[in-house]
Amino acid sequence: MTEASVIGAGTVISGHVRGQGSLEILGRVEGDVSVTGNVAIGAAGRVRGNISAAELRISGHVQGDLRGTVAVLLESGARVVGDISAPRVGIAPGALARGHVQTDGEPAFAGARAPAAASRPVAPPARTAPAAAVSPTANKLEAKPVAFPTKVEAKAPPVPAKFEVKAPLPPPPKLAPPKPELRRPEPPRAAPAPSQPEFTPVRPLKPEPRRPPPPVVPVLSKGIKAKKKKSGD
Amino acid sequence: MAGTVIGEGLTIEGDISGDEEIVIHGNLRGRLTTTDAVTVSGTAVVGADITGASLSVAGQVTGDVTASERVDIQAGGKLVGDIKAARFTIADGASFKGNVDMEV
Repeated sequence: MTEASVIGAGTVISGHVRGQGSLEILGRVEGDVSVTGNVAIGAAGRVRGNISAAELRISGHVQGDLRGTVAVLLESGARVVGDISAPRVGIAPGALARGHVQTDGEPAFAGARAPAAASRPVAPPARTAPAAAVSPTANKLEAKPVAFPTKVEAKAPPVPAKFEVKAPLPPPPKLAPPKPELRRPEPPRAAPAPSQPEFTPVRPLKPEPRRPPPPVVPVLSKGIKAKKKKSGD
Repeated sequence: MAGTVIGEGLTIEGDISGDEEIVIHGNLRGRLTTTDAVTVSGTAVVGADITGASLSVAGQVTGDVTASERVDIQAGGKLVGDIKAARFTIADGASFKGNVDMEV
């Protein structure tokens, strides 16, 4: 008989836990957990590490990836920061999850859903170009909302898209590499673009005035600075 | 009911610390610190320094033991390591190798 294991509320384990049987975590575990049975994490349970088990039922906090061979269930009050993968994934209202969630078997549908992927344009742009937040709306309003999905997912147009992207990449100094193509054809509305260049010159300007003073200081107090650094280190 | 139970078949590599009773049926390698009782059952294999209020050993333990109250090695139990405890008993049929310090 495999006795169920319990990590009590007043217990902290820093290290790996693995083996057979089920495990109930009411305390704290800092390390990976890998068991063949089920894992239940109580409301007061805290785990920092990856967890692998048959069925995971979580009411506490987990910082790490969850892998369930049967299911991963987040109960109300659960808080998970990390990726979740299992054939069955349940997230109850009141549970908080941050990370990639994948239900096994989805890959089979992925091919079929590819055409329908157009319905997902919102998600991909956000991930690919978070900086795009400023101008994407402008771009969409102007002309080519389709451009995002085509770039990310469509297979036919990628070639031209790539070229366009490459060309603009060098000129734009900072933000939003994907959008420059849109800016080119439509310079008038590229209002955000000018604002960015303005910032860029400002930065180089600042260092110039700052640079002169430093040389003066070090000359006067080189020895002192060096000593301070050494003592600080 | 014991606060923490390490079931048979479970292996922990690392430190365990807490303020409640701990019962070990499985394997532990690392260090074990608690303010309550520690029980190492007949199926357990422990390679760890143990600190607790009391320790009862029926399985195998390798490591130094510090107990504020007592240490008991049951028949069939095996302990290799130094022991520091106010009370210390070795049952008939138990095996032990190490130094004993009972002047706590």
